[in-house]
Amino acid sequence: MGRIQLHDIRKSFGAVDVLKGIDLTVDEGELVVFVGPSGCGKSTLLRMIAGLDQPTAGRIEIDGTDVTPRSAADRGLAMVFQSYALYPHMTVRANMAFGLQNTRMPKAEIDTRIAEAARMLEIEPLLERRPGQLSGGQRQRVAIGRAIVRRPTAFLLDEPLSNLDAELRVSMRAELSALHDRLGATMIHVTHDQVEAMTMADRIVVLRAGKVEQVDTPLNLFNRPANLFVAGFIGAPGMNLWAGQAKGGSVQLDNGAMLPLPVGLAVPDGAVTLGIRPQHLRPQAGGPLQAKVRLIEALGPESVVHADMGAGNGLLAVLPGQPDLARGAVIELGYDPQSVHVFGADGQRLG
Amino acid sequence: MTGVKEVLGAVVAAPLGWLARLLDTPLRLWQRLAGQNGMVAFFLLPNMAIFTVFVLLPLVINIAYSMTTGAALFLPERTYVGAAQFERLLRCTDYTDLMTCQEDQFWIALRNTGTFVVLQVTLLIVAATITALILNRALRALSFWRAVFFFPVLLSPVVVGLIWRWILDRNGVLNAALVGMGMDPVNWLLERNYAFSAAIGVTIWAHLGFFALILLAGLQAIPRDLYEAAEMDGTKPARVFWRITLPLLMPNMLVVIVLALIRAVQVFDEAYVLTGGGPGTATLFLTQYIYEVGFASLLKNPGLAAAASILMGGVLIVLTLLQLALGRKNERKGKLK
Repeated sequence: MGRIQLHDIRKSFGAVDVLKGIDLTVDEGELVVFVGPSGCGKSTLLRMIAGLDQPTAGRIEIDGTDVTPRSAADRGLAMVFQSYALYPHMTVRANMAFGLQNTRMPKAEIDTRIAEAARMLEIEPLLERRPGQLSGGQRQRVAIGRAIVRRPTAFLLDEPLSNLDAELRVSMRAELSALHDRLGATMIHVTHDQVEAMTMADRIVVLRAGKVEQVDTPLNLFNRPANLFVAGFIGAPGMNLWAGQAKGGSVQLDNGAMLPLPVGLAVPDGAVTLGIRPQHLRPQAGGPLQAKVRLIEALGPESVVHADMGAGNGLLAVLPGQPDLARGAVIELGYDPQSVHVFGADGQRLG
Repeated sequence: MTGVKEVLGAVVAAPLGWLARLLDTPLRLWQRLAGQNGMVAFFLLPNMAIFTVFVLLPLVINIAYSMTTGAALFLPERTYVGAAQFERLLRCTDYTDLMTCQEDQFWIALRNTGTFVVLQVTLLIVAATITALILNRALRALSFWRAVFFFPVLLSPVVVGLIWRWILDRNGVLNAALVGMGMDPVNWLLERNYAFSAAIGVTIWAHLGFFALILLAGLQAIPRDLYEAAEMDGTKPARVFWRITLPLLMPNMLVVIVLALIRAVQVFDEAYVLTGGGPGTATLFLTQYIYEVGFASLLKNPGLAAAASILMGGVLIVLTLLQLALGRKNERKGKLK
């Protein structure tokens, strides 16, 4: 239970196409994260799955049944809102019971379910309080609890962690993943935070401007981004992307540097974009990359070096430890050619 | 556009700045002499003086009047009678029969006002809530509809009364329309129940927009998410209204109810212009009673009118305190969030 299929979902608001044909299958029990920059349509897509918005065209199936014409209530899904959307005038218990009372469920059953969810989320002492008396993290738990008691086919989470402070977000992230393992339910989680996506997801759906850019596991996205957008979006700090001309197994950048390409990768001569993750650069005397240090962010175990290679090409390198570098110094860097990503003129991955 | 605004702003600000600089030195000097508390008193003084002359003093004089009798205008010429005016107002031989009361008109006015308040406020609140709920939907030309409902609020009460008298009069627009459709004309303002209903209907029409606007503000403050959460839970519309909308609207609703009560107790101008209190005493309300006893009747009795106004004032003070208490409670709740 909980397999969700989207077939060519489109949504237009007037002349603006927000979603331009989305095909996707979310398997039973999977935790899928929709990620993308603001305005990419990820929340709109989630709301359409929820039934809060109707697609302009396309079909939504849950466990093989077409639910597109059905109302939100008849899809058997539960949603956790970014603002939590707790009823402020009701106690936590009443908030959790509200949806169940709609189905005329016997009171004893409601009480059992609330007790069970409260225990799982450790909110038992809060049951008689009102949302106004709870902290952000506690409200978040209640919102999740309200979804759990409904025993939905799938959980839809719309940026549920974005209102929490950084520390709490990290711990809630882990808790949500643990909860997913425990419930074994299908979850679709929307976020604009790629770290959140990387840490939680079974699979990530990267969206941009109403289109799916890539669907894959977090590590595959990191290791083999399908195009320039995904390459730049996934990973922190972002991948170095340099435009250049491929010629006989090397790429010449605008600043003249000649960079070797992976062995065995056939790249036709012409314009390409070369991508190297900052983590894959390492100091190497006489290495192919030379850059002038502009800024060093010393994080302790590693340091992020911002540098200029000339001709408008910036460089980011994550170097282990605390290298002894001064602003203005020239560093020489090298890399394993196998770790290089090459993208064609159309922005798609080569090889 | 901003350029024009800035220039205009500078033009307006220039003389003000000049005035401020002019006043700066004397005021600094004055503050040195009077001290900071002295300055507070200095700035409050004009306001307090106006308040004293036009509000506080009339109030005190009114209380003094209520303890005197006669038709003389100036207090020193009036005869002191203690609480006799209040006694006269409140004395009845049999409280189940208003005709046995010494001031039966006062009691009739009281009964009419009571009936009016209960019916008018109830209907007004229901109508304003429904109006606000409709206006709160994503309606086409929403601002237009909001304006339509608010326009009567802008009319002077006397104009409201005149408009509706023109419509409801024996030879008025409504009867002309009825006759035109082959029906018999109705004496809308000369039949007791019709006239009373007209007074209720017209005052609702005149005030609806104001109360609907306050309720609408309350409705718009309810987060959309809550309705979506309810939608996900499959909540029926009626249950959404009773369990979510109404409880969250309650702070505004209470304010609206108390304000409506206060206004209803004070009912006068629209109703007076519309029916003149008639037919007979069918639409005689407290304020009209006070007005007629004090100023309009042949046997002017300002003392009695003053006494009646103090009794009415007592009711209004209770209602106002209630409103303030509610306001403070809402404020505290707001802070808690």
